[in-house]
Amino acid sequence: MNISNVIRGVKQMAPLLRKELLEAWRDRRALVMAVCFSLMFPAALAGGTIFMIKKQSEDVTRVALLGAERAPLIQQRLRSPNLEVSSLDSGSPRELLAGDYDIVLEFGEDFAQRYQAFRAPPLYLYINSSDTGSGRAQRDIQERLGALQQLVVTQRLAARGVAPRLLAPWRIETRDVSTPSSRGALILATVPGLLIMTLFVACLATAVDTSAGERERLSLEPLLLQPMAGWQIITAKTIAVASLGWLGSLLAIATLLLLMPVMPLTELGIQRATTTGGVIAMGLIMLPLALLVAVLQILLALRSQSFKDAQTQLSIFQIAPLVVLMALDIAQIKLSDSWQLLPLVGHQQWLKGLLVGGAVSPVWMIAGSLVTLGLVLAAVMVGARALRREGLLSAS
Amino acid sequence: MDSRKRLIPHRLRYSLGITLFAGLFGVGAMAEQGAAEMAAPVSETCYADGWSESLRCYRIPVGTDSANADDLVKLSVLVAPAVNGGQHEPLYLLAGGPGQAASDLVRLLNPLRKLNRGRDIVMVDRRGGGRSDAFDCGFGAEIPNNIELMTAQLAACYINAGERPLTINSRQTVEDLESVRRALGHERISLWGGSWGTRTALLYQQWYPDALQSLVLDGVAPIDTKVFLAASAAESALQELEQACSEDPVCAGFVNWRSQLDNLLANWSHAQASNFPDPFTGRPAEEPVETWMLAGAVRTALYDPAAAAQLPYAVSEASRGNYAPLSGILGLFADMEGAMSLGLTYSVACAEEMNRIDAADIDRDADDTFIGDMFIRIFVEGCKVWPVPPRPYDAPEPRDHPVLLISGSADPITPPKYANEQLAYLPNQQHLIVRGGGHINSPRGCVPDLILQFLDQPDATLDDGCIADIRRPPFAAGAFGPALMPEQAIPEADSLLAQEHSAGGAGENPEKLEQRAIPTEEVAGGDQP
Repeated sequence: MNISNVIRGVKQMAPLLRKELLEAWRDRRALVMAVCFSLMFPAALAGGTIFMIKKQSEDVTRVALLGAERAPLIQQRLRSPNLEVSSLDSGSPRELLAGDYDIVLEFGEDFAQRYQAFRAPPLYLYINSSDTGSGRAQRDIQERLGALQQLVVTQRLAARGVAPRLLAPWRIETRDVSTPSSRGALILATVPGLLIMTLFVACLATAVDTSAGERERLSLEPLLLQPMAGWQIITAKTIAVASLGWLGSLLAIATLLLLMPVMPLTELGIQRATTTGGVIAMGLIMLPLALLVAVLQILLALRSQSFKDAQTQLSIFQIAPLVVLMALDIAQIKLSDSWQLLPLVGHQQWLKGLLVGGAVSPVWMIAGSLVTLGLVLAAVMVGARALRREGLLSAS
Repeated sequence: MDSRKRLIPHRLRYSLGITLFAGLFGVGAMAEQGAAEMAAPVSETCYADGWSESLRCYRIPVGTDSANADDLVKLSVLVAPAVNGGQHEPLYLLAGGPGQAASDLVRLLNPLRKLNRGRDIVMVDRRGGGRSDAFDCGFGAEIPNNIELMTAQLAACYINAGERPLTINSRQTVEDLESVRRALGHERISLWGGSWGTRTALLYQQWYPDALQSLVLDGVAPIDTKVFLAASAAESALQELEQACSEDPVCAGFVNWRSQLDNLLANWSHAQASNFPDPFTGRPAEEPVETWMLAGAVRTALYDPAAAAQLPYAVSEASRGNYAPLSGILGLFADMEGAMSLGLTYSVACAEEMNRIDAADIDRDADDTFIGDMFIRIFVEGCKVWPVPPRPYDAPEPRDHPVLLISGSADPITPPKYANEQLAYLPNQQHLIVRGGGHINSPRGCVPDLILQFLDQPDATLDDGCIADIRRPPFAAGAFGPALMPEQAIPEADSLLAQEHSAGGAGENPEKLEQRAIPTEEVAGGDQP
């Protein structure tokens, strides 16, 4: 195949491409699925962070005190914006925890007397560790009690003429080498995976429909009878499918960026560092990947037994790579730069870097994208050969 | 303001009078790396003690226009970059003293973290302070406890310092600040000043009004106020403590502590001074603790309500011959001196404050106060060996920048009335007064939130109701600390009982003693009318 042949072939392909694109974009079910997922995950992410921060900052820990009359000072000093303290005459801690309270504090007998006699009276802290709010409640109350305890200790030491500093033989100074951008990577780590997943999901319905679907509708046979090469058919289908996937992922990126200002990232100490150039790069690197995902999905669907079988296989196919990506991310495996040549792995790293404003090498992005395109070409060839097999049509 | 976070000095130093304007936040911020030598400001990543996140450290050359080569200094500038930069004007923190370094204020970033989200926070060590070629006269962490020794060392320092004492002053500091603002390319800035830093901020406002967005002043030292006349302010703070104590059911038990304090100060003997225990070693102090140091310690304790809350008990114990609690209060403050560069302190204080204070002023201020002239004496004596020409300020001109004033009602050095009486030329001001508050209240309660609201919307009126939630810490009631129950402890009865026990129960086993102690205390607890 020389170059003029290819150009002629592409020109010849135009009506076919038009037909495929029309079919892909007319399929309302596939379109809705692509759009929904693209909008859904950024919205869920934004909602999640907003909710998390709101819960952290606004949630009030309800504390029930039993026997507070034995230590009014503690009751009085526990009050703070995030602690709602109520003193009860009686009650069973278990029932109180089952009811409105997050935590129950019970003062031992003769609390104040024993405190004054330096006999360290017990202060019972009832918690329900199976309750999701229990950890926070415990932290809140211990922070407050700790401050009071510190005050008492300081006064006791001073009363004996001891500088409180003697309790700290040295000082630990923490030095955090993270940057707002690297802290962002921690929270936004799921985003690249989800963006890639958007591609898979947005392509899926159309990929199945254009291959296994056409075969079941018996419209694939007339298509193969047209005077066209196998690669032309596969390419046209791939472009149609990829167009949907790519636009899905662009929509997701746009939604995410639009929602970023309302996400309380600053409260989490995270910088909004995504640049315009970064956004454009994100869109561009998704295109070769969209093509690759589309062609692989079509190939898989073609060699499946039926429409249903194709759906099942593709569902597994969309989850498998994501699991690998997430595993890589969770295990925090340090990959050498050359891993960026591998599709998906490279895309994940680039997206992450572009999102949090980290350093991403354009050279690696271009090289990795070329590798991805090469794989697309190879897959198209494989597909073209498969179309020539007789068995393909009688699969069902 | 957690005193436990400060460094441990290896020897007790009592010259608490020196720490006059120090904000109560700790010492020891230390930039680790110098910056590269460049014309355009280039920063390096660095850290400072008390703040775990990384900072940008700059070295900005100033004094380049001077003919004198000695004047060329590279100022240390620390910037805590905003999480999301570019949204708001940067906030510069100005330190107290004079003599404290802005890099020591880095600890304030913890309570003021919210301010750092949308604003860079900039800390410039003024010339002669902290990392900017500290002019500390070799005092470092060791300041003599004796006025004569200290004055002698100051005199020697002055002689060896050349022209330096004559060049360091507020004007220079403001000009340097302006150079830094230009070098960093900040179009408009806001200033937070603490203590003496408020004076610097107010002067900057006079001289560079166009570069200023808004002002936050905590512990205000107005331009026209002779703030070194601190005796009556300290006396008012002590009286407010007395009042708060008498209203507290537990502290009210220390009926005569104020007269006991006056007695102690009036009759402090050499024997008492020499046997005063050292809060670090427990042995008698190496050098005698003289009356002025004792009075200075009481005055310093008033800076921090948590330390002040221990005064009635400590004084009451001292009047019975137990000096440990008083010594413990000194232990709370023992290393604040290290934060001051005394050459800088005296250059500014003598030229700008002491030169406008005369003997009659001192007498009037000292009259009927517990500290008398014992505080200002350190400066009177010091300025005798530190001759610098007076540098009077011009009368302040009206400025309409939004100004947030923060005062503690029981501040022994910059009481709220200074801000109320001397800042009429600032029409656009709001004043937050923390009841029972000491010196520097920015980190307390909801004040950081109010500062943020003010900086974001400087012209809106703040809803300051939450200030009322900031309370005095509980008073020390006995050797056990604060009383958990008001009727549980009548402090004096408690001590009397303790004496009774130690006298009568020498042969008894300790457990029995303990058991006896509880019921008798209940009887003493005041259930009976």
